[in-house]
Amino acid sequence: MTLAQEPVSPSPAPQRSEADRLARRGRFDTLVRRPEIGSFLVMVAVIVAIGFASGGVAFNPLGLKNNLAIISQYGIIAVGASLLMIAGDFDLSIGSMIGFAGMCMAMMLKWGLPFGLGPATPFTAFAITLVLTLSIGWLIGTIVVRSGLSSFIVTLSFLFLLRGLTEVFFRLINQSTQISGLPDFKEDSWFASLFGGQSFQWLYDIWFATGGNINRQGEQWVTGLDARVAWWIVVAAVAWIVLSRTQAGNWIFATGDNSEAARANGVPVDRVRIGLFMTTALCATIFAACQVFDTNTADAAKGNLKELEAIAIAVVGGTLMTGGFGSILGVIFGAVTFGLVANAVFFIPAIDGSYYRVFVGIVLLIAVFLNESVRKRITGGI
Amino acid sequence: MAEPIIRAENLVKRFGPFTALDGIDLEIHKGEVHALLGDNGAGKSTLIKILSGVHRPTGGQLYVEGRPVTFHSPRDATAHGIGTVYQDLALNPLMSVTRNFFMGRELKKGPGAFGLLDMKRMNEITHAEMIKIGINISDPGQAVGTMSGGQRQTLAIARAIHFGAKVLILDEPTSALGQKQQMEVLKTMMRVRKRGDIAIIFITHNEIHSKLVADRYTFLALGEVIGGGTREDLAGEDIRRLMAGGQQIADLERELQEV
Repeated sequence: MTLAQEPVSPSPAPQRSEADRLARRGRFDTLVRRPEIGSFLVMVAVIVAIGFASGGVAFNPLGLKNNLAIISQYGIIAVGASLLMIAGDFDLSIGSMIGFAGMCMAMMLKWGLPFGLGPATPFTAFAITLVLTLSIGWLIGTIVVRSGLSSFIVTLSFLFLLRGLTEVFFRLINQSTQISGLPDFKEDSWFASLFGGQSFQWLYDIWFATGGNINRQGEQWVTGLDARVAWWIVVAAVAWIVLSRTQAGNWIFATGDNSEAARANGVPVDRVRIGLFMTTALCATIFAACQVFDTNTADAAKGNLKELEAIAIAVVGGTLMTGGFGSILGVIFGAVTFGLVANAVFFIPAIDGSYYRVFVGIVLLIAVFLNESVRKRITGGI
Repeated sequence: MAEPIIRAENLVKRFGPFTALDGIDLEIHKGEVHALLGDNGAGKSTLIKILSGVHRPTGGQLYVEGRPVTFHSPRDATAHGIGTVYQDLALNPLMSVTRNFFMGRELKKGPGAFGLLDMKRMNEITHAEMIKIGINISDPGQAVGTMSGGQRQTLAIARAIHFGAKVLILDEPTSALGQKQQMEVLKTMMRVRKRGDIAIIFITHNEIHSKLVADRYTFLALGEVIGGGTREDLAGEDIRRLMAGGQQIADLERELQEV
């Protein structure tokens, strides 16, 4: 312990100062002490275990595509949730926001723009939905900041409110809580294929060219990954740069650690918090757009419980529940872990979805204990 | 005598029916440590909150270098060179020394909104400023939570000076520290004093500490100034009497006897 009592010696070395009490650490030791190390090890263990249990099927061309589809879905919202958690807030409305955004887009694509403005294109449907969801994110943030209420309770109310509104609008306008059979927009619209199309085709082309990725007819089997994988990478990369290398990132950490201290130093704490509620709304909208333009369907129940999974992934990734500390890299590892386990049911016949929830429960509990020990180590046990 | 860097004239602050300050006069001079003493509830906190722009006085006028000023926010006070080091130090324990040092005033390189943090330069400046004030931190990337209380105090003081503080308000900087760390903080204060261009307002309960470093004293009780003067003006016995809220120690002794 660095804070241990100083040894009593009759003639202390003259140059000794407070600064010497923090031992310098080696490179390996520094690596082991990184906050992501726990989630990284869990991820490696899960990859190996699922690789063996599925006989390699989970990581063949199609398995990889399907797994990454789920992983990137989790990844997109978990990144938003963890940024918000680092600033000390929760957003329980992410799942309902996904359902709401999906409803808005699909409804406009099916029934046209509001106020009789004519038929919607994928771009206008997305743009109007984004304006709506960002406004709701702003509203949530403003209520939390102005009222001083806990974000937990404010966003809980929006969890019910948005889900309810989604169902009400579906019934009123659409007479059914789902929309299916929309035209396949991604075929014609580059904008729709940006969300619902494919990405990393070149990777699968190379895979085919080097003798893999072949189906029974001897042709190329899988043509590429889902577009949402690219979105996940973009969202995570931007979040990583913002958090570690920008002023905004410093403000996010400062807001979550001790918002009064941040305020006293001129950090615009309220703007940071509101901005992050809008960020989670943005992530939920990207999630919904990928879903709508990929499947050409929408459902009032979409995104159910996703907010809790996003928070669980953020915690497993090393984000502190109390704010002020977290790592995007850890959240990426956490998303991989959760996505693989959630999808394992398709590759391992002996298990069903209940095993996923058992796993989540156990891993979450372990992660919280780990994070607490990390926090104590950083703050010198205070 | 040179123009005081801060002069307060007849400051009054009322919170509803409650009069927290009732006509305070105060003069703060460059290169001096000005001890502000008084019992709990004497009005010390209200006074420094007015000086640091948190509260606006109900009456009276504040002058900075002879010019009348009105602070609308702590930012205004900072802009006029008044840096406050609060009791909780306004530090974030989970963040690194450098990130704390530049919190809210980060250095960036690159174009406008897309500028990235210039961590290298911020680390260098933090390291240099800490050495100037007497602490050699081995790693500016270490979390503030790993530092001792005295080091944290020094970090907060170095930060205020670096960002242009001409007047440092130290709110009970020694109260939550161990003996050795208290001495460190007092040494830091004397190093700052030696520069000659910075005034320190030292709020404390501790008579011994104030005697060690202060050049000038102001005593508050029940929202009024009950005494003050330079180190030479005041004898040791006076300080103790004034700290007890102006009540004669002899009176207190008699009262205690009667209990």
